[in-house]
Amino acid sequence: MNAKRDLHDKELDALKEVANIGAGHAATALSQLTHRRIMIDVPKVQMCTIEEAASAVGDGGVVAAVLLQVLGDMTGRSLLLFEKNLALQLADMLLSREPGTTKVFAEFEQSALKETANILTGAYLNGLSDMLGLMLIPSVPSLAIDLSAAILSTAYLDFNYEQGNVIILDTRFRFDPGDASMSGHFVLLPDPASLEVILKAARLV
Amino acid sequence: MGDRRVGQGEGTLSITGLGSCVAIVLYDEASHVGGLAHVLLPDRSFSKRDRRWLFVTEAVPALLDELEEAGAERTRLTARLVGGAAMFEDLAPQDRPNIGRRNVSAARRALARVGIPIVAEDVGGGFGRSIDFDLSNGRIVVSSQGKSRVEI
Repeated sequence: MNAKRDLHDKELDALKEVANIGAGHAATALSQLTHRRIMIDVPKVQMCTIEEAASAVGDGGVVAAVLLQVLGDMTGRSLLLFEKNLALQLADMLLSREPGTTKVFAEFEQSALKETANILTGAYLNGLSDMLGLMLIPSVPSLAIDLSAAILSTAYLDFNYEQGNVIILDTRFRFDPGDASMSGHFVLLPDPASLEVILKAARLV
Repeated sequence: MGDRRVGQGEGTLSITGLGSCVAIVLYDEASHVGGLAHVLLPDRSFSKRDRRWLFVTEAVPALLDELEEAGAERTRLTARLVGGAAMFEDLAPQDRPNIGRRNVSAARRALARVGIPIVAEDVGGGFGRSIDFDLSNGRIVVSSQGKSRVEI
């Protein structure tokens, strides 16, 4: 496993760069939408098995998760995970509420989260498209609020269980300078052939 | 995930966040030996990965062996099944049954094959589950987001 990881360090670094550019675009879009200052960066990119992924995305608590199918030169799924507090705060912002107002994820809040996920996922996929020269098209989003391990394993198993590794982009949100950051994760679950496509394209960057 | 645990007498074995995976929980009430396997897929035809605890068909006999080694009597063992949910149903492929349901049926078949009766199940649905398996009495507390706890 470690040898495999070392082998892919260079590709993952290239993906991290791509992801940070995408995160920058997403932050700009979200800032404009909410009239708040939002900073997003990707401090870490890793590749691991689904079992390892469950512990890599946090403490196993409740997350809001948005799943999209990705079609085009790479097929698979992307999963955006927001820890619950971050999801509530994002909903406050998108719905122009006072911070701390949103307590539950009703229909309105869910659609705000899907919107956020669309913007972020679109930005990441655009970044990948531009830099790697791949055509990537996202589907409509599907949302679930549940424990991170349940969500990850189901997103992985219910679609194409033959796949091997997943790619996790740790995504850090900060709303005002000096604020504690909150974390989300963007998980790419490529179909097996597509994982190779991504890594190969990243090698050429 | 893709693993098992065995214990005896006291304490709790827990899993946080079962989705489409299934937890196969076996217990011998007389010796208080219990164990659980947290498996991902019905059998080896679903993945090239080489790890027996990923698969229902291999995890059941393997867990049985480990429990016998720990002092359980095979004929006294009873089984409980938890998990096998389907989430993101709006995006999931429509052309085949979801993996959660397949895991549950595979588990029922595998347990029937080794002659272990299933005494309780909490399976299916569109939500994740966490479990606490009490080794002193074999009971399982199942909790889910926005739902009340169930003991089986």
